Amino acid sequence: MVIKKIPKAKVLEWMAGCRTKGDFDLKEGHLLQTNKKEMVAFRQMSKVFSNGTVALDQFDLTIGEGEFLTFLGPSGCGKSTALRMTAGLAEASSGEVKVFNKDPKETIRNTNDIAFVFQEPNLLPWRKVIDNVVLPLELRGTSKKEAKAEACRVLEMVGLKDYATSYPRELSGGMKMRVSIARALAAKPKLLLMDEPFAALDEMTRQSLQLELLEIWEKEKTTILFVTHNVFEAVYLSTRIAVMSAGPGRLSSVIDVNLPYPRHAISRTDQEFSAYVKKASDQLENSLDKRGIG
Amino acid sequence: MSMSSAEAAKKEMITSSKKGTKGKYFGVKFMNYFLGPIIAFIIFAALWQTVPLLIGMPHYIFPKPTDVINAAVSDWSLLRQAVQITVLESVIGFLLSAVIGIIVSIILASSKIIERSIYPYAIILQTLPVVAVAPIVVIWFGAGFNAIVVVAFLIGFFPVISNTLMGLNSVDKEMDDLFSLYNASKWQKMWKLRIPSAMPFIMAGLKISCTLSIVGAIVGEYVAGVGGGEGGLGYAITVSAIQVNTSFIFACAIAGAVLGVSFYLLVNLVSNKILGSWHESAMKKEQ
Repeated sequence: MVIKKIPKAKVLEWMAGCRTKGDFDLKEGHLLQTNKKEMVAFRQMSKVFSNGTVALDQFDLTIGEGEFLTFLGPSGCGKSTALRMTAGLAEASSGEVKVFNKDPKETIRNTNDIAFVFQEPNLLPWRKVIDNVVLPLELRGTSKKEAKAEACRVLEMVGLKDYATSYPRELSGGMKMRVSIARALAAKPKLLLMDEPFAALDEMTRQSLQLELLEIWEKEKTTILFVTHNVFEAVYLSTRIAVMSAGPGRLSSVIDVNLPYPRHAISRTDQEFSAYVKKASDQLENSLDKRGIG
Repeated sequence: MSMSSAEAAKKEMITSSKKGTKGKYFGVKFMNYFLGPIIAFIIFAALWQTVPLLIGMPHYIFPKPTDVINAAVSDWSLLRQAVQITVLESVIGFLLSAVIGIIVSIILASSKIIERSIYPYAIILQTLPVVAVAPIVVIWFGAGFNAIVVVAFLIGFFPVISNTLMGLNSVDKEMDDLFSLYNASKWQKMWKLRIPSAMPFIMAGLKISCTLSIVGAIVGEYVAGVGGGEGGLGYAITVSAIQVNTSFIFACAIAGAVLGVSFYLLVNLVSNKILGSWHESAMKKEQ
């Protein structure tokens, strides 16, 4: 993967041509969201586990269509729980979470709009790569031909078309994660939930996958909710970062990341980038201080 | 993203493994895997032949290998017939235990309520010694073939159930979530997730069950074997015991063991065919 350093002016010029429609406007070199449609809403949501642990406390946040929002926080701050609840895999103890103004379970029952990428690739080892990618469509009763065609499209998108007939065990960790992302994309979801998908990968693989994910996000216009504990990753990917604190899990602050896309033009040592990293780190530290840690 | 270098390496690996000198490979494999067991067998057979000879043990108490071979050769037709019948009984018993065992497990696993209500009794039944119930089976099914098949089935049935159930219930939580997220129905989850991921467990159960079904058939023949060339190995052993034809008992026992090993290898082959492409237990290890 070759990352070229392109002058910022050039990037802005290019972006003005290709990213002015939809819910985004280009303003002074930054992507700002305007009149965004509400996609996910957490309203006064709390989650208490049966053993009494408060995973989330009075969690309030709204995520607009087309956003790339990252939950950033220490382990045990309930960020994964919030994601699972958005997918209808866990119930709120009080308050509510709405996806497209509906209960997530209802959305799942009727549509393919929500997809989930776990930290582990979770591929079915007895199925070839293509049959793994086809799975969501197969379960919804999509015709075989249509499903295969769609699987080929998304496999090409993640650069694994040549490995369609391989078994998961023949792939590297990064490739497995690509298949997992392809599977999530195969159902053409409007909302993609990702729970620390790159945490188990090496730095090089992680960086190239981050870039690819951003490309896919821009191309497919999918809303992404991403969970990480990596500050750099959060700043590099997101339009907004929700910084969370633990014990009990609370939203401590929200940072708008006004860096232009595509971000491969941004060096990770860029001053502006570093400023955001510092800001996010400070917020994270503050949230730890509140707990008497750190 | 360029995958060409990975592709090239993959191809090279395949061609080099094909090119590898077969003769040399076989030699190494022979040294590593077969030489030890063969030497051990020769030493064992030699001791078995010489020790009874040295201490003057009569052949009806402890026959030598040559006595056993002689007995097998002279009564070959009897032995062959007995083996054939035992094979038939144990294969039918095994197939019944596999099919019924898997179906019952799937029904039990399909509902937690059913499983909780019935599984404890399945465990209690499992602890019943089959030898103790065999006479009841004879009363119900009459002496002969049917009763023996039922005994072989009973003894092979529970390993299949307990293994299959364990497999069906040990599906990865995230995989299960993934299927829920795609609105998979209960039976879609069963067919596309739980049964395939239980396959290694099911195969382990079948491997235990196949050798047990031979034990079951022989035990059944002890209790319910009938003469007239339909008795099987168990019946042949009881008759030989009355006649103090110890060499023939040994021949029958060895035939039973050979049967067990072949049966096991056959099931193992099927298991490797099914799991070979994906499960660690059945994959060829990389050198």
